[in-house]
Amino acid sequence: MNQIALKFSVMITTVALAAILAGVFLADIYREVDSRAMLLPNQGMKLLPHPRPLTAFALTDHKSRVFDLASLKGKWSFLVFGFTHCPDVCPTTLAVLTRARDKMVKNTVGPDDIQFVFISVDPGRDTPAKLGQYVEYFDTTFLGVTGKNAQIGNLAGQLNAAYEVGSAPGGENYPVFHSAGVFLLDPRARYHAVFTPPHDADAISKRFNVVRELEGGDAP
Amino acid sequence: MRWRLTVFICLLLVLNLVRAATEAASVSVRDAWIREPPPGMTTMAGYMELRNDTSRRQVLIAASSSGFETVMMHQTIAKGGMAGMVHASQIELAPNASLNFAPGGYHLMLMNPKRTLRAGDQIVINLEFRGGLVLPVAFEVRK
Repeated sequence: MNQIALKFSVMITTVALAAILAGVFLADIYREVDSRAMLLPNQGMKLLPHPRPLTAFALTDHKSRVFDLASLKGKWSFLVFGFTHCPDVCPTTLAVLTRARDKMVKNTVGPDDIQFVFISVDPGRDTPAKLGQYVEYFDTTFLGVTGKNAQIGNLAGQLNAAYEVGSAPGGENYPVFHSAGVFLLDPRARYHAVFTPPHDADAISKRFNVVRELEGGDAP
Repeated sequence: MRWRLTVFICLLLVLNLVRAATEAASVSVRDAWIREPPPGMTTMAGYMELRNDTSRRQVLIAASSSGFETVMMHQTIAKGGMAGMVHASQIELAPNASLNFAPGGYHLMLMNPKRTLRAGDQIVINLEFRGGLVLPVAFEVRK
């Protein structure tokens, strides 16, 4: 009889201990789920630990308007670098961004709260008129931006967006290498995050929503 | 009665062998498409799923089309945090395997189409393999 009671109490203690351990374990998981790191897995997007304010630059959009630091203020901006002779990477990214924008506008933000900017690193071939035709095919709200090489380099450098324009003697066909990232700038013109390829419209729009909510108090 | 059954079974076996022989000796393409170019743009990319059902390695050595001034085989590669294209002089298909030409990887670089291409159009591109096999493939233009 005594032995049975002992066995019983050992069992109860074991169950209680297991329950406590499980509780601690679950609380730990819960804390982690609650953290920013869990909400924003690093895959597909790199969030800067501290948003980095951009400094002055001067470019021109496809309607020949000035595109500078002030153009980035008051709305979230998605910036991509590329060139119109790019048959694979650029149209793929822009098609994804067209779908991402549709999702964002449908779900959470007003069309005036976000802007999408395609920056040509190839001003030798990409005139404002050509850029306009190109970006508006994907979405009539997209902006095509380019300018002097030094100013393109200025903005790209601030975002660590690498690019390399090759040369072909007298030819129109030369290779261009460029970052395939999508750079996210907040309404205070601070570099906030970069989406890394392969891009996905759903992932971009969902992660943007999380970033935006985390920055809720940071309205312009 | 029994001989009829034997003939029937033999016929089935022969038919099966013929089918296997023709299929095994084939290289095929599925889901061939070209991304519709924005207005005024003359460079675009063609994608497809290549399947090698032969027991030998197949080598794609060229692609051509009367619909374009230039057709090249390209591959998008990553280099120092950048993406860019390099020319592929030949692309190998392993025996009994498939190879995808997809955004961000292998693609046919198509330049200067002879007419304006719009979603829904079809255009034939000939894929040339080492050994003389030429495969005409209908690519569909998609948005």
